Amino acid sequence: MKILSIALNTFRENLRDKLLYNLLVFALLMIGSSVLLSRLTLGEFHRLILDLGLGSINFFGVLIAIFVGIGLVSKEIEKKTIYTIVSKPVARYQFLLGKYLGLTITLFVNTVVMALGLLVVLYAQAVPIEGMLFKALALIFVEFMVITAVALLFSTFTSATLSAIFTLAMYVVGHLTADLQTFGAKMDDLSRGILNGIYYLLPNLERFNLKGHVVHHLEVSGSDLMLIIAYGATYTAFLLFTASLIFHRRDFR
Amino acid sequence: MAVSIALHHRSASIVNQCLLGMGGILLLACLGWLQGEIDRRQDRTVVQIEGLAQLPQGEYLKPAVLGYHHLGADLLWLRLVQVIGKKGNSADEYEWMYHALDVITTLDPQYAYAYYAGGVTLGDLANRPDLSIRLLEKGVKANPEVWNIPFLLGYNYYFLLGDPAKGAEYIMKAASLPDGPVYLPGLATRLAAEAGSPGTALAFLEARLRETQDSEMREVLANRMKEVIIERDLFILERAVEAYRTQRRTLPATLTDLVTAGAISSLPQEPFGGDYRLDPKTGSVSSSTHPERLRTFFKRPQPTYSFPKVQPSYSFPRTWE
Repeated sequence: MKILSIALNTFRENLRDKLLYNLLVFALLMIGSSVLLSRLTLGEFHRLILDLGLGSINFFGVLIAIFVGIGLVSKEIEKKTIYTIVSKPVARYQFLLGKYLGLTITLFVNTVVMALGLLVVLYAQAVPIEGMLFKALALIFVEFMVITAVALLFSTFTSATLSAIFTLAMYVVGHLTADLQTFGAKMDDLSRGILNGIYYLLPNLERFNLKGHVVHHLEVSGSDLMLIIAYGATYTAFLLFTASLIFHRRDFR
Repeated sequence: MAVSIALHHRSASIVNQCLLGMGGILLLACLGWLQGEIDRRQDRTVVQIEGLAQLPQGEYLKPAVLGYHHLGADLLWLRLVQVIGKKGNSADEYEWMYHALDVITTLDPQYAYAYYAGGVTLGDLANRPDLSIRLLEKGVKANPEVWNIPFLLGYNYYFLLGDPAKGAEYIMKAASLPDGPVYLPGLATRLAAEAGSPGTALAFLEARLRETQDSEMREVLANRMKEVIIERDLFILERAVEAYRTQRRTLPATLTDLVTAGAISSLPQEPFGGDYRLDPKTGSVSSSTHPERLRTFFKRPQPTYSFPKVQPSYSFPRTWE
């Protein structure tokens, strides 16, 4: 209950953030511009609209997750508003989870708005809409949830700027982790062990990337999809758990 | 007094604003002029094509775009399409286009349209069947279910390299895939017949006939088989005539002479119910129902076609698994 009220408050606070609207408008512009670009291309103009649309939703969603996410806790500390909350009978982990849930709601609303924009474009251009599109969007949202948790984790112990840099770095690394295994396969046992350890510790964000499946009409089995969602949820839980531990010991001065 | 000062103050601020506005417009005009001047000094298409040459290898680019590789392939394709439209590219430029196509198809190996359109451009426009074939073979590996990539490969071998046997092999591969158009098996058999292997064509048609339930299609295939049988018989008969001539130093008067001379054991039956006729002057054999020989026709007359116009700077291995 306490978590939910903090979440709703965070959501309301996010809605007042100008950054959110800037990014949203840019995303919608990009989705719309795919119509113009598709006139310039040769061959499958459907795929340009889908690629650009899903790419924009993913990219701007990640930007929102990172740049709103890093301010969740650090802004409260900066403005000293955190004192009024921690002095109330609210556990620190409840505060953190509420904040996280609030941004997740914001991101969900944003994803829905951007997806609606894409659907309107697709409908207007008479592009057939398949079920795979919604599966891809669902996994993009799971990626947002993981990124938000990463941003929140960093913002519990460093400044907003550093959290932004760390989270961006995690986003980049998260898309390259598959290479760690490739490198590891060419090395000796010890290095391979270390690289594998890092591989399992870091989030593998490529797992949530089904954008190509939509364009090429490839299917993903239901059990695979559930496993990927479970992976995302577990990773988020792990990040939130670590963030709560750190935040619990944090001294606000 | 106070009023005049206020007025003076107001007019000064209006003048200031006007000056600021003019300054802004002047700066904008300068920007436009500079932009135009720089553009005028360099040919935009040349810059765009040279940009393609400088693309990093797809293997390195793919991880760098962080999961947006399909979008990356689209944007590169968009850039490539703008320069393909240019009239008459140089030999170098076609090599750069091949490089760009290679990068695009590494970013998105399932981009079937890029293989096909790129294959057409490199093969027909650039006169570089080597590059076209290399691109298309990469496409076949990544998309074994897409029929038009092996189809274009067959086309390249037949028309551009003058290799009907290889062409027939690829067209047959294309014909065996789902979604292939109905004319493909016929085309494959024509190619195989011309390659001097009507046996291959017959085997392919038999296989198709066994798998086809549609009565109309079965009739077409059965007809085609008979045509190929004629082709095979003519091949056998002409060889027998040739053997007869080398043995007796004269041409046979009729085909039955071949049997009596022992060149063949018996005369084959014309599958359409007609008969085979020998031209006693030339020694050539023809069918009474199908006087035309079964063969495909080249798009361009072979002798005027010089290949390759551009000598590739590297050797292209002509081996296939």
